Amino acid sequence: MRLRTRLGPPPFWILGLLLVLGMLFFIMTFLATPIQAAPDAYQGEQPSNDFCLACHQEEGIALTLGSDSLPVTINPTLFGLSVHAEEGINCVDCHTNISEYPHPDVQAKSVHDFSVELNVSCKDCHEEQYSNAQDSIHQKAFDEGKANAPLCSNCHNPHTQGRVIGTESKQLTISARLHIPETCAQCHSDKYEQYKTSVHGKALTEEGNIDVPTCTDCHGVHNIQDPTTASFRNTTPALCADCHDNAGIMDKYGISTNVLETYVADFHGTNVKLFGDQSPDEPTNKAVCTDCHGVHDIAKVDNPETGIALRENLLVKCQRCHPDATANFPGAWMSHYVPSPQHYPIVYYVNLFYKIMIPTIIGGMIFFILTDIYRRIASRGKGVQHS
Amino acid sequence: MSAKPKTYERFPLARRIEHWILVLSFVTLAGTGLPQKYPNSPVSIFIVRTLGGIENLYDIHHFMSVIVMLAVIYHLLTIAYHVFVLRSKWSMMLSLQDVKDAIQVLLYNLRIKKSPPKMGRYTFDEKFEYWAFVWGYSIMGITGFIMWNPITATKFVPGEFVPAAKAAHGGEAVLAVLAILVWHMYHVGIKRSAKLMFSGKQTEEEMLDEHPLELEEIKAGVADRGPDPVTLRKRQMIFFPVAALMTIVMLTGVYKYITTEETALTTIPPISTTVESPLQTPQP
Repeated sequence: MRLRTRLGPPPFWILGLLLVLGMLFFIMTFLATPIQAAPDAYQGEQPSNDFCLACHQEEGIALTLGSDSLPVTINPTLFGLSVHAEEGINCVDCHTNISEYPHPDVQAKSVHDFSVELNVSCKDCHEEQYSNAQDSIHQKAFDEGKANAPLCSNCHNPHTQGRVIGTESKQLTISARLHIPETCAQCHSDKYEQYKTSVHGKALTEEGNIDVPTCTDCHGVHNIQDPTTASFRNTTPALCADCHDNAGIMDKYGISTNVLETYVADFHGTNVKLFGDQSPDEPTNKAVCTDCHGVHDIAKVDNPETGIALRENLLVKCQRCHPDATANFPGAWMSHYVPSPQHYPIVYYVNLFYKIMIPTIIGGMIFFILTDIYRRIASRGKGVQHS
Repeated sequence: MSAKPKTYERFPLARRIEHWILVLSFVTLAGTGLPQKYPNSPVSIFIVRTLGGIENLYDIHHFMSVIVMLAVIYHLLTIAYHVFVLRSKWSMMLSLQDVKDAIQVLLYNLRIKKSPPKMGRYTFDEKFEYWAFVWGYSIMGITGFIMWNPITATKFVPGEFVPAAKAAHGGEAVLAVLAILVWHMYHVGIKRSAKLMFSGKQTEEEMLDEHPLELEEIKAGVADRGPDPVTLRKRQMIFFPVAALMTIVMLTGVYKYITTEETALTTIPPISTTVESPLQTPQP
């Protein structure tokens, strides 16, 4: 009463101000509700995939992000076949900020930015693959700000990605294996074109052969490294030998399994072996497998046009490093043969000569020395001194 | 101490220097060569690491091979001097007597014979070793040239000669190293004293034991004494210009040996290829 007495009744404008502020507060609270209150409202009862697909299966719906248009139609059949659907993953497990319609505004200004925002969702389940990818050349390209640098979803469309690791075998499924080149070809189409015509690529793409290497066998999967470095080049012989020393694979095709052994026995291989042991990251000018056989365009050695079993074709390869090499020069390379009376007989007989001469001569020497020692010991025993 | 025993000079200083240069080059060549023959051996890997990489092994091996070539030229010149100027006895020449001596020694060792054969300035085992070196270094020189200059070599011989040269070079190396370890080390490290190659001298007792015929010749005064000063001077006047010319020819040969060819490009061009996408990144 004292207050009222002192100040008198509140002026009408104050009441009006309070009313306006109150309304503003109410409006702001109301507007904020969809974002803030949703998780609470749906806790334990997330919207089902059917709930999302009810709208998202509609053809032709798209988001406009800056100048990009992002189709947001999800084919329920394809999604149903995906490993994510199979494992009962919900849309909102990845799209964590969406729970209701209307959806919150998308801040991303491009499809790329939108993918970057969502990319971290993959980490929740695929921690190992995600962290491996952090060490890859793709991540490096991304860090350098290259717009085309791929994210998880570029290779693994999360809405259609099938199972790649067999539930029983715990290994890459045949179908996944066969589709890898197509995935890489989305960006590396020029390499894919070469690969398709190579002895490996042809067998994989045309015959569905799973013995031949697919992209990831040489390049790795998530932690893909720069293949143009010296260290990658130095490890090439070991990389090729992974399969080419494996009789289980090679015997089917009648291919020699001692290609690494014969390479290391040759000058180039000896050097690369010893050089690589010492300085794995330094470049060497000695030839590795790919310098003669090619990389993505590896052909059969008996191919009449490019096969390096033919001296003329091999000479071209020799001349890349030995520009003055002439017609006889390719014969200096024993073509992965172990010398025999049929193949490289001179080398075979030289080796045979020393195989016989070394034990004979050294054995003879040892025999002679033993007789000398015998005589000395025998003489000493008798106290006889010869001079 | 009684009077110093009488000693005879077996190897003058120049010969001893020649020997130790040969030792140094032989050990270095074997040490840098064998790791290339056995690249998978941990010993090889250790040597390569210690010397700072395989390229260093090549450089050291090549350098030492030049030392050997120069030593061989020097040796040939001394032989020529002995043959044409001093007209010494060809004491290193092999003969049927060496085979007989070897058999006699063997029979003596087996205690079938009561006494060993009397041998001269160079015993059969020394001659064997010397000629083994002549054979070995000839093989090494020829096969080494083919490997050092494979492009030049294959202009004249089939390509197969290159791996054949490599096989012979390696086989001969193993044979030589084992022969030195077994034969040479036994004869001069255990049987005889290695002191000889430092002092160059042998006592009368050692001479009597190892080279009795040479000792007899020295005592009888029929050993090589060389020509009289006038004849010596006359022969030298002819020898030195010819030797100088031959030296130039041989040194040119060595120079050619090591510079004929740039075998390969020192650096291969880096892979120049577009790794980046020619296509737009697909949309999820």
